[in-house]
Amino acid sequence: MSPTIIGIIGIVIMVLMFLTRMPVAFVMASVGFVGFSTMISSNAGLVLLSRNVYEVFGSYDLTTIPLFILMGQIGFNSGISKRLYDVGYKFLGSTRGGLAMATVSACTAFGAVCGSSPATAATMATVGLPEMKRYNYDDELSTGSVASGGGIGMIMPPSVVLIIYGILTEQSIGQLFVAGIFPAILITILFIISIYIKCRINPEQGPCGEKFTWKEKLKSLLGLGETLAVFLLVIGGIFIGLFTPTEAAAIGAFGVLTIAVLRKQITWEGFINSLMETLRTSCMVLMLIAGAVIFGKFLAVTRIPFEIAGWVSGLQMSPFLVMGVIILIYFFGGCFMDALAFVTLTVPIFFPVVMELGYDPIWFGIIIVMVTEMGVITPPVGINVYVVYGIAKNVLKEEIPLEKIFKGIFPFLIAVIIGVIILMIFPVIILFLPQLMY
Amino acid sequence: MNIIFKAMDKCSFLLKIIGAVALTCMMLLTVVDVIGRFFKHPIFGSVELVGFLATIVVAAALPYTYKTDGHVGVEIVVRLLSKKSQLIIDLFTRTVTLILFMLITWQMFLYAADIHETGEVSMNLEFPIYYIVYLLAFGLLIFSVTIIETIIKDIKLFNELK
Repeated sequence: MSPTIIGIIGIVIMVLMFLTRMPVAFVMASVGFVGFSTMISSNAGLVLLSRNVYEVFGSYDLTTIPLFILMGQIGFNSGISKRLYDVGYKFLGSTRGGLAMATVSACTAFGAVCGSSPATAATMATVGLPEMKRYNYDDELSTGSVASGGGIGMIMPPSVVLIIYGILTEQSIGQLFVAGIFPAILITILFIISIYIKCRINPEQGPCGEKFTWKEKLKSLLGLGETLAVFLLVIGGIFIGLFTPTEAAAIGAFGVLTIAVLRKQITWEGFINSLMETLRTSCMVLMLIAGAVIFGKFLAVTRIPFEIAGWVSGLQMSPFLVMGVIILIYFFGGCFMDALAFVTLTVPIFFPVVMELGYDPIWFGIIIVMVTEMGVITPPVGINVYVVYGIAKNVLKEEIPLEKIFKGIFPFLIAVIIGVIILMIFPVIILFLPQLMY
Repeated sequence: MNIIFKAMDKCSFLLKIIGAVALTCMMLLTVVDVIGRFFKHPIFGSVELVGFLATIVVAAALPYTYKTDGHVGVEIVVRLLSKKSQLIIDLFTRTVTLILFMLITWQMFLYAADIHETGEVSMNLEFPIYYIVYLLAFGLLIFSVTIIETIIKDIKLFNELK
């Protein structure tokens, strides 16, 4: 059998095993191990297992992941989100749909300390949903804006998906981070516009809220201060080359913790919960990377990624069209599998193709995150939707049907699609900041 | 059997604490290192130490993450099946996972013994790496036993369903 055929059999078996809900990381490791053993030797396969697991778990570059997750978790367990929401509330609350706009903006701000999209959605849902209920917002708009806004947490640096992308493709994590800033702002603006349009068509979706004086508005801005300070320190430090991403993450986590302690807004229990949740999430993410690395070694010996890259570039198709197809694959993949898992699985396959076509690796990273962001809010696996559903049940004491939340997602989905198209036409929005680095 | 499970619970609780402490140390060590650097006194070998601590964090979190279903999988197809079929599929996948991790554990112990013999040390601190690899192998061993535990629980559940 030719290596390519073994590779294709491996991929088919892997997809079938995914359907059994066996953890994605373990499936990739198993298939990678068996495949590699078949092609080289079982001894080589066994050695591959232990060496790669040890290398991933002990890699200094990857230590940035648990630390950034910790930073987000501490932010989640302390009162930061409430103050961020307050700013948006004071400034936008009086306009139609203003609270939903405030929620989306607060999501972006919280994304600046948190690298995960479900965590951002969970945080802002806890704060934003009760407020929107109080002003008689339609559940469709309120839950839709929280679930979609959470996705911005993944684009706004720090971002766990971008760290993984950077490590798998050997790109600078710092460059990827700063590249995410403008696209995150772009999406926020597009989300606000779509809320505006929705409320224009259906004014009962988001009635006007209370008006505040300029004095109150300006005072609320103080609540932004600490988050902004931590963000500037962390991302600014990476940007000018003062810290490595790991150092920045440690300082960010420590900074958020210090603020929370000084403001007496984190309990001992909250701190322990942050640590435990960080252990759990980090272990999941690192296991996923270990699985992807093992699977990647197998893929490399089958030469499938290079064959695909060669085949695609031989097609004489316009690169724009090929990119469109890749984006569609990411979109549908993201609908069925967790965004993080899907990125670790597919980046080794598509990255050579994209490079062959002459696209910028940093640009592609941001585009992938944007597209998988659609995946986290679309059925059937839209994780953010389930998170918001669960929280709505807890804080509002009432059940909002899943279909209603998915319906609420729709205008935001269109906004993301428009965002991706804008970024494809104007790559400079992504590449402008990283090009200024060192 | 129950005594073993209780001992396992203790073990996995202890590991959780070790993991939490290692994680906190990772953060503090890096912060102190960076601050020290501004005053021209960085911590010698901090990069290596942070790498070691990270290994401890993940090794310690393995059983806890598995027990609390922390790993992501594709749920949509299995969810459509009956409770019983779900259990059968779970038993199958848990067994595959067990085999995989028994192999990794075994290889990790061999790897640790291997570098113990060659006396490999870390670059700056000249710390013997095999300690860390043994630790990881131990974490993996506890993890493998945790998988066996969940398999036994699933079998019990399956018998009750009948």
